[in-house]
Amino acid sequence: MDYIIQGFWEAIQLLLSFDKEIFGIILLTLYITIMSTFIATIIAVPLGILTGIKKFRFKKTLIRFLYTFMSMPPVIAGLFVYLILARRGPLGELELLFTPTAMIIAQVCLVAPIIMGITYNSTREKGQSIKQVAHTLGADKRQALALLLFELKADILAAIVSGFGRAISEVGAVMLVGGNIKGHTRVMTTSIAMLQSMGDYSQAIAIGLVLLALSFIINSILYHGQKVV
Amino acid sequence: MNITLNHITKKYGDKTVLNIEQFDIKAGIVTGIIGPNGSGKSTLMKIIAGLDNEYTGALLIEGQKINNEIYKAMTLVFQKPYLINTDVYNNIAYPLKLRNIAADEIKSKTEKMIELLQLQEIMHQNARTLSGGEMQKVALARAIVFEPKLLLLDEPTSNIDPQTMQLMENAIRYINHINHTTVVLVTHNIRQLHRVCSQAVFMQEGKVAEQGSVSEILAKVNEDYTGDFLEQELSTKIK
Ligand SMILES: Nc1ncnc2c1ncn2[C@@H]1O[C@H](COP(=O)(O)OP(=O)(O)OP(=O)(O)O)[C@@H](O)[C@H]1O
Ligand SMILES: [Mg+2]
Repeated sequence: MDYIIQGFWEAIQLLLSFDKEIFGIILLTLYITIMSTFIATIIAVPLGILTGIKKFRFKKTLIRFLYTFMSMPPVIAGLFVYLILARRGPLGELELLFTPTAMIIAQVCLVAPIIMGITYNSTREKGQSIKQVAHTLGADKRQALALLLFELKADILAAIVSGFGRAISEVGAVMLVGGNIKGHTRVMTTSIAMLQSMGDYSQAIAIGLVLLALSFIINSILYHGQKVV
Repeated sequence: MNITLNHITKKYGDKTVLNIEQFDIKAGIVTGIIGPNGSGKSTLMKIIAGLDNEYTGALLIEGQKINNEIYKAMTLVFQKPYLINTDVYNNIAYPLKLRNIAADEIKSKTEKMIELLQLQEIMHQNARTLSGGEMQKVALARAIVFEPKLLLLDEPTSNIDPQTMQLMENAIRYINHINHTTVVLVTHNIRQLHRVCSQAVFMQEGKVAEQGSVSEILAKVNEDYTGDFLEQELSTKIK
């Protein structure tokens, strides 16, 4: 029991002393997750909206794949990107493996289906009535799209925040393609996993606390955003 | 705007829900459409409004196929209207904003509608928090604020109390009067048909079974078709 209390105590001290290594890890984590969420958003929100309002062939099949990818285990996304970026892989020449860029790519694969799936679902639910209202009131295509985005903004925000939450909390993908290299690709989740196995609980707890705080902030944004927007 | 329908058929799978040989709606008057549930009234309204293009036959408005100009000059109000997630004022102003109208004109026209339908008390309330009847009032205000030439109303006053009903009927007559707006009104309320419509149509099983003046239609419907339809209407009134 003592080692937990002591771990907590040392964790607080580490955070208050602005330990350089810990803050480096936090900053890298934020950089990677924000970049991957941003790129995934740019790809997935338009695709989700299009899938929600358009009819096309093989739509049902696409949706089935989408739902599968939404719940894809992170290690699978990691393995997939690893195989592609590995030295012998199709994109091996780029030498991206074990870099933050590789971690961003893996997280985009993981997060984009989540953002697209949530956006698709709310568009399918409300898109038709929004489009009809826009049309009956005389909106042109651009104005109808603007109304659609305005009406779906709370849902899109929820999708983005869910994606971000997934990116910041997963270990498997970033571990496989990043390799948890100190000062280079070590992020919060991978360092907790490592510290725990080394028995260095105070650092693990410190990072864990920050991760929890970030989760709390994300959820607050989600909660508020849905009321305010 | 007059409307001409020629051999309009609409199917869902094998089921024919609309089969109209020939049907004209005269410009500048209020035409009522009555008929039992499932007879195709809403389907017809959506086709006229250009929301449903999956049908065969010819639909002409002012002798033309729906083009952008016609499209901008008509509107449809649903029984369960979709209001935008903003306050009542901005919901009503929305069609004006789509048309690049000057700010002061938007303001005066919107305020005029708020007055006409007595929405002063709720004008700053979010439209999503309104009661069902209030929503229908706002939807009507939003539909007539831009002075459409063709106004399609699909049961706009279901679930409306008698006083509000009068208010809404006045608004319909008002726009028809000052703007010569052609109005097509779907209703299950025979008294409303009497009060606001000059022509009427009785639909049954996807067909225009009868058309003529309101009294002609009611007389025929009473004899030939479901006496039930009127009796039901009367009995709900007595309750
Ligand atoms: N998406 C759909 N798929 C299959 N059938 C449909 C669909 N939409 C409507 N229908 C059918 O078309 C017929 C006409 O429906 P419509 O809504 O036009 O009737 P209505 O006259 O407006 O009835 P009500 O008085 O109840 O509003 C109904 O039998 C309905 O079941
Ligand atoms: Mg209907």
